[in-house]
Amino acid sequence: MAGVIALVAVIVALLATGLGRDPSVIASPLVGRAAPNFTLPQLDGPSVTLSKLRGQIVVLNFWASWCTECQVEQSALDRTWQQFQDSGVVVIGVDFEDTAGDARNYVRTANVTYPVVEDAGARAALAYGLRGVPETFVVNRSGRIVSHVVGPINAARLGNEINTMLDARSR
Amino acid sequence: MKPGGVLKQARTSAPGLLVLIALVVSVATLTIVAVRGHPPVSRAQQVQQIAAGLHCPICKDLSVADSPAPLAQQMRQEIASKLGAGESADQIRADFVAAYGDSVLMSPPRQGLAGAAYYLPWLVLASGLIAAGVLLRRWLRASPPDQAGPVTSELSEAQLRTVANAVAQLRAEEPG
Repeated sequence: MAGVIALVAVIVALLATGLGRDPSVIASPLVGRAAPNFTLPQLDGPSVTLSKLRGQIVVLNFWASWCTECQVEQSALDRTWQQFQDSGVVVIGVDFEDTAGDARNYVRTANVTYPVVEDAGARAALAYGLRGVPETFVVNRSGRIVSHVVGPINAARLGNEINTMLDARSR
Repeated sequence: MKPGGVLKQARTSAPGLLVLIALVVSVATLTIVAVRGHPPVSRAQQVQQIAAGLHCPICKDLSVADSPAPLAQQMRQEIASKLGAGESADQIRADFVAAYGDSVLMSPPRQGLAGAAYYLPWLVLASGLIAAGVLLRRWLRASPPDQAGPVTSELSEAQLRTVANAVAQLRAEEPG
């Protein structure tokens, strides 16, 4: 009898641990590892190669023009870009499962100011283990992924994360 | 030796001969297949084989080969592209595991904690058999030996004679 009670207690404890988790934070095997490199064409501009941005903090946001949650977070990404672009931070939008025409249209009408690249064939998306949009990866100066957010980003949390990395360098 | 002895011996050894022939044919077939290898597999079949072993990351219980989702479609294209670039099936699987984790595999890996999925059932079965054996042994030891022994009469010879006489008398009184 005592064994059964102990078993039930263990199962309840395991379930309780799972209930306390933030569903937007999915453990990505890429966190802590080198960010997969890519060279992708910008919607309107030269190609972007991730490895050439080594030494800068990169916020990599996978999005699509048809994605409503991406529209929700877009202003926060724009604010982050405006606030940190002179401090060695780059925000890059990676357009996923979209047409270039729709993406260009959205970028123009929503006044997206950070660079947006086109991931035709979803090669970069698959290399980053993407399951949907929006998903955001933060890459540190040495090219390692330090965080992964599924769903719309929280501007304050992203800002704090960037500030922490910037402070670590200035020390 | 009787005249039909040789024929009878041949008849009785016929099944043994058939088994021997079947064994020789099987070994020969396996040897030929092992030496020649599998028939060549087309690129599409290779893609299908690899995709069937990968779990569609946005689906419930569907492989990349079976899913109609655009992401699964792109994964199939990526597999074809990587095969075209000369990557092996193991390399391609490893690339997807690096990006998505072990959950992208339809079957859990044999290494690490997930390997328990393969070994645990055998461990449980072996433990069950050992436990059953121990219980059976205990049960056999605990049962009194006279229960299983031969039935012995506790009647004296005089009593046995009385019973025999009574039976004989009853039989004699039976009609017919």
